[in-house]
Amino acid sequence: MNNSIVWRSFPPSPARRSALPFLLWALAGYVCLFLPALKAQSTYQEPDYSKFQPESGPITLEVWTWVVGLDKAAPLFEKAFPNIKVHVNNVGAGPTEYQKLQTAIKAGSGGPDVAQIEYDFLPSFVVTDGIVDISKYGAGDVKSFFVPWTWGQCSPDGKAVYGIPQDSGPMALLYNKKIFDQYGLTVPTTWDEFAQQAEKLAKASNGKVMLVDYVPTQAPWFIGLAWANGATLFKQNGDSWTQSLNSPECQKVLEFWADLIKKKYVATIPDFTPEFYTAVGSSQIAASIEAAWGPGVLAQSLNDKTSGEWQVAPLPQWSKGQTFRSGNWGGSCDVVLKQSKYPKAATLFSIWLNAAKGPVINNWTSYGIFPASLSGLASSDLNQADKNPSKFCGGQNVAQVYADASKAVNEEFPWSPWFAFVNDDYNKQIAALIAGTMTAKQALDAWQADSLKTPPAMATTSKGSSEVHLHGAPRPRGAFPSS
Amino acid sequence: MRRYRKTAYLFLTPFLAVFIAFYLAPVGYALYLSLFVRKRIGVGPPKEVFGGLANYMRAVQDTDFLIGLKNMFVFGVVQVPIMLGLAILLALLLHQSRGFFMKICRTAYFMPYGIPTAIGAMVWGYLYAPNLSPFNQILRALHQGTIDFLSPAVVLFSIANIVTWTWTGYNMITLFAALQNIPQDLYEAARVDGAKTWDIVRRIQIPLLLPALRLLFIFSVIGTSQLFTEAFVLRPLGYLADNITPNLYVYLTAARDANYSYAGALAILLALLIFVISGPFLRRIASR
Repeated sequence: MNNSIVWRSFPPSPARRSALPFLLWALAGYVCLFLPALKAQSTYQEPDYSKFQPESGPITLEVWTWVVGLDKAAPLFEKAFPNIKVHVNNVGAGPTEYQKLQTAIKAGSGGPDVAQIEYDFLPSFVVTDGIVDISKYGAGDVKSFFVPWTWGQCSPDGKAVYGIPQDSGPMALLYNKKIFDQYGLTVPTTWDEFAQQAEKLAKASNGKVMLVDYVPTQAPWFIGLAWANGATLFKQNGDSWTQSLNSPECQKVLEFWADLIKKKYVATIPDFTPEFYTAVGSSQIAASIEAAWGPGVLAQSLNDKTSGEWQVAPLPQWSKGQTFRSGNWGGSCDVVLKQSKYPKAATLFSIWLNAAKGPVINNWTSYGIFPASLSGLASSDLNQADKNPSKFCGGQNVAQVYADASKAVNEEFPWSPWFAFVNDDYNKQIAALIAGTMTAKQALDAWQADSLKTPPAMATTSKGSSEVHLHGAPRPRGAFPSS
Repeated sequence: MRRYRKTAYLFLTPFLAVFIAFYLAPVGYALYLSLFVRKRIGVGPPKEVFGGLANYMRAVQDTDFLIGLKNMFVFGVVQVPIMLGLAILLALLLHQSRGFFMKICRTAYFMPYGIPTAIGAMVWGYLYAPNLSPFNQILRALHQGTIDFLSPAVVLFSIANIVTWTWTGYNMITLFAALQNIPQDLYEAARVDGAKTWDIVRRIQIPLLLPALRLLFIFSVIGTSQLFTEAFVLRPLGYLADNITPNLYVYLTAARDANYSYAGALAILLALLIFVISGPFLRRIASR
């Protein structure tokens, strides 16, 4: 190791014999201080899997995920743990899977052992009592292997662990360099500059090319931007919750965008639709605020059209020289279901899948799924210029930009059990905002008020307040305000 | 006699078994679930406790649900007559025409019915996308502005259009078959009496189509109450209200908000409503 080389490189001289050992020991100690850091950079650290003993006997784990190609990780796992067979089942992405999962939980059987769930939807499964707090199987010990904010997403109170972070979606600005060069645009570092460039492009192109698309049907996109502005939407205090969708932090973000929408400097096309991909692929949209998994999705959805024209830059900031901040959009974890007969084996698999080098690196280079593991984030193996998403961005080290973004994501950002409703209701308010029938503040206030109507399904709410109390009997009338 | 009854049950068993397992039992279970409410006692997940008719009381005061029902009525009042009117017109025209042309038309009109609803809705979703829509491209070329087919005010009619496109052919074929059954001598007698084509349509064909039409009307009303797939498929393409159709609202209450007991109550109420509306018609058909 380094310190032994140091030892030999200083031949002892008789004259300085008394001082030398002290000096050398001090030097060695100093080097040792940096050893963990050196190790993290040079070697890929994985947890000691032998600490997680599965149940005895042959085991078959059923795994639900929508990560395409995750089934290729199964044989690697089976090789390392011959007693456990893994059956990977792609039952559909997001809500499609959640509906099946909730039904299985309600029915008491038919669910998998391990399931992929997005961070923002996790509490709705905790509240229906469907998933195991795997801290009892020692999952808390692997905390240090994961990006702190992703761990916080799975373990909001720092004690119970409801899942192992799988991927993350820190946000950055993906821009089409060809269009930027064509119109002489500069890459904005602040939102003020961003607005100026949006205006410049809209005017120069006669409204034909827009700087970005304001995503009108993906609440987590907006929430990610609010997250980067220091907002938190939900807070759990013991048995009651506070919801603040219309906080000043959210308002600042939405007002900024509402102005651009009103002036027609940005597009408002629903994301993940043929219309959006057509607009991006035919260079009608010059940039897109994308989570780490975004460039991979775009490369695939555009069939590599415009490939190589893109670059990723850090998310614009609210003021010059502020502490760099980003937000998160999406990202998911793997949970263990209470129905599972093999919760220990399921815990082991969840940890291995997201900490082991093979699947973590492969997820990024094959499917653009960005790691939540610290070693994964630091690994130079993520930088493969000839593979998407780097290839899509002209060989740029995309992972590095997103790794920096991940470090700048606020750690504390709890979600609520009724987020599924909040998520959909956002579309309603933004549709009104775009139609011009609501201001940003009105839209956020309506979002807040509407979303307090649904918690009665899970709890009772004090009318007109943002406090949601999760105890006591539901009030048949007052609890369900009718307008 | 007794032996015959046994045989009858034997033949009915396959149907009854499936009917009970996949139809009556779930309805019974929904009814059972609908009597419970979620309640929290202290920290932890909520418990389901018996709540009597609390969910039903909530449902009849739920403006979102009531607006969904209103949408359903608007849809039925506008779409069903248009679809059946078109079906009658097409059936009469086909009945008049002969040969190859008729066969091609008959197949072409019927074809949408053979396409799975979800696929059809996806194709229409593409046709409705504001910037990609060929309709809008035509309108733009004519400098007529564009229509956002997915905007909240229009989308119910966009869905109606998909439903009309899918089901007109099916209704037409049924009416066409009914027309084929009208004895030829009725037409001959009418001609001898000096009836013009319009008289034949008005006094012979339409009256004799009425039984089939009544049945189709009932099917359409029931179909209207079950609208779901089109709305569900169009949903990711823009903003579609949760309660654009009552069935979508019931689905989201169960699958998204995990509130199965309330969804059960909503579904039972919806079924009762349809029963009340369609019951008298069904009885009239059965009595004939």
